Amino acid sequence: MISPAFWSGRWSRASVLFLFLFAAWIVAPSSLWAAPPQPEKAVRGPCVRDAEWMRRNHMDFLKHKREETVREGVAVKSESFLACSGCHPSRERFCDRCHAYVAVAPNCFECHQYPK
Amino acid sequence: MTMDRRSVLGLGGAIAAGVALAPGLRLIAAPETSPGSVAASTPGKRWAMLIDTSRCSSDCSACVSACRTENNVPLFGDPERDIHWIRKVELRDQSQRKAPVSLPVLCNHCEQPPCVHVCPTEASFIRHDGLVLIDKHRCIGCRYCIIACPYKARSLVFYKTKPPKDTNPNVPIRAAGVVEKCTFCAHRLDEGKLPACVEACAKADKGAMLFGDLNDPKSEISQRLLKEKSQTIRPDLGLKPHVHYQGI
Repeated sequence: MISPAFWSGRWSRASVLFLFLFAAWIVAPSSLWAAPPQPEKAVRGPCVRDAEWMRRNHMDFLKHKREETVREGVAVKSESFLACSGCHPSRERFCDRCHAYVAVAPNCFECHQYPK
Repeated sequence: MTMDRRSVLGLGGAIAAGVALAPGLRLIAAPETSPGSVAASTPGKRWAMLIDTSRCSSDCSACVSACRTENNVPLFGDPERDIHWIRKVELRDQSQRKAPVSLPVLCNHCEQPPCVHVCPTEASFIRHDGLVLIDKHRCIGCRYCIIACPYKARSLVFYKTKPPKDTNPNVPIRAAGVVEKCTFCAHRLDEGKLPACVEACAKADKGAMLFGDLNDPKSEISQRLLKEKSQTIRPDLGLKPHVHYQGI
């Protein structure tokens, strides 16, 4: 029998809460955790850069390209958004899947078109 | 040569700083050569336009509609907030001795652009071929440039727009809250084509618009500006605009 004094203790209440959360974590179905994103495989290749490098650096790459294109007027056609869609036909199944998983919302496509 | 303690320490410090800084010094790397076609602007050009108003009629708006199709410029149906990259203006002589003159007005791509000077984020800039452009990625929509421009060439995008049905994929559509204006069809110039309005004007059999490079003394526009009488709008402001008019 647990004495009533136990329930009033600060640490004991915390431990009960911890035990409850731990139990919930064990019992909860794995579907509660988002599965790792599975972006669609490219229909064609190779990519303009190494795929592993692109996974990490595409955002900086695109930003760099953007400065070059807009401000310096050098537009490399094969490295534009329009060219991305040649190998990755669906933005929803390629770009958006990872972006949704990591909860980033790049606003590229507010203006840029991604042809289907 | 003998070195005293102080200079040895100083030299060591300088080398250490050099080693620490050197990898970071490649801030501006040489552009990588990439495969594929490149649409590049040409430094040293100076694009300009010459509009012969005697060949421009008030019932023709081929340039305006060509611009809207080429650059996906929408019409909101709200005259106060519509976006105009190029618009037709009618000049009437107050004494009514001269017939009214119809002419298109667009961004003048000034050599001393006040819009660029007031831009707090350097979103408006002069490209190395003289085009005054807006980097919409940087634009915060403060509209200083709209106030600064004496030609009313700039518009703020008030509303979110959906891409029109026959969208030109080469030109981005627009986000609400940025300023935009005529680009002299920079994307077409970089591919070696003429601006859409100039092409449409020629196609409509008017040929009122002539476009070319002022830095090339042999180009038609340089020759004509040299030989024929022309003027710019508000030359008194000293902005050196690059849209020249004849017959106003």
